[in-house]
Amino acid sequence: MKIIIDCMGGDNAPLAPVQGALAAAKDGAAEIVLCGRKDDILSAAGGALPENASLLEASEVVEIADDPATAFRVKKDSSLTVGLTALKTGAADAFVSAGSTGALLAGATLVTKRIKGIRRAAMGPVLPSATGKFILCDCGANAMCTSEYLLQFAYLGSFYMQRIQGIENPRVGLLNIGAESEKGDDLRRETHALLTAAHEAGRLNFVGNVEGTDAFAGKCDVLVADGFSGNVMLKSIEGTAKMLMGKLKGVFYGSTKGKIAGALVRSDLSGMKKLLDPSEVGGTPFLGISKCVIKAHGASDARAFHNAIRRAQEFVESGFIAQVEENIAWMRVENNP
Amino acid sequence: MTPEQIFSRLQEMIVEQFTVAPETITYETTFEEDLGADSVDLVDLVMGLEEEFEIGEVQEDELAELKTVGDVVNFLASKLG
Repeated sequence: MKIIIDCMGGDNAPLAPVQGALAAAKDGAAEIVLCGRKDDILSAAGGALPENASLLEASEVVEIADDPATAFRVKKDSSLTVGLTALKTGAADAFVSAGSTGALLAGATLVTKRIKGIRRAAMGPVLPSATGKFILCDCGANAMCTSEYLLQFAYLGSFYMQRIQGIENPRVGLLNIGAESEKGDDLRRETHALLTAAHEAGRLNFVGNVEGTDAFAGKCDVLVADGFSGNVMLKSIEGTAKMLMGKLKGVFYGSTKGKIAGALVRSDLSGMKKLLDPSEVGGTPFLGISKCVIKAHGASDARAFHNAIRRAQEFVESGFIAQVEENIAWMRVENNP
Repeated sequence: MTPEQIFSRLQEMIVEQFTVAPETITYETTFEEDLGADSVDLVDLVMGLEEEFEIGEVQEDELAELKTVGDVVNFLASKLG
């Protein structure tokens, strides 16, 4: 397997992506292609690359200020465009980048293309719940959605949890402001009807509307949302987690009694921190793109990149894309009367 | 190629990309409001037009002017004329 790393994308580029890629090369599970400016990459790598790593030169860098929809066209020799083009032509199996989300999504959609029949690619981070994990799909790639997009996100999330997280019959919930079927706006009610039809046909395990709190209680394995609501939910969780960890730190470092207690539960706390640490996951694939494109967090360090490359390996090996292609007919509104 | 022929081919491309009925597409149809297109959809369509009509690369400032189907027909007619 060959994985391309965008060495110019992210807050800590090129050092973090190059170091993360070299750590992955050391694992030996994949051939690593470092894409970007040759001098910058070699300098970050300490002068030379190992045998299973190679260079793919690109002289330009897509910046956050560039127009996301057209950046890949304007900067043809950017690491993003060169890397995605190599992916499209079959020169590699996956592309990992911590660059601008919008530019990466537009590039992935328009260079490597969506799976035929998929209306919009979605982003689906896997979040911890009281009983396990759930995928939030979409978490921000599509602010404006139709019920057909949401139906497709349900399938994408469901296949992802089956193939990558090993959940046999994932329970699909629709993010809403109440559990009853008539709750929410027109989009939610239309989507509820489509998901119910898919459930009755035995194609999805739809468990109904789910409120944000219930998702964290473990009521579903896939939480379907439009990108706007999903992003508000995701950012609220991140903020709450950060605030609570800060408060906990205050409790454990605020007094001698707290410090003693902190020392006793130190390893448990580090496990909890790990649970909420985005570097542990590393990256999330764009679901619905015809090739494996992984978006790593903009602030990724070398460890996060290493983990993002692992996510790419898992995704390529999972057979997810083939499963979506085989089931695309069921993801159309007209086939869910 | 006449404007009518351009419109007819463009109509086919829009129907395929946006999954809409052909009769709903007129010269006045707007991409953003009527078809729900976002900036990525527009770039996608324009890339298809570049290939289909062999007009070379459409520049960013030209892209910004294409608001309706009629705008695209006129733009293509001027490029092909």
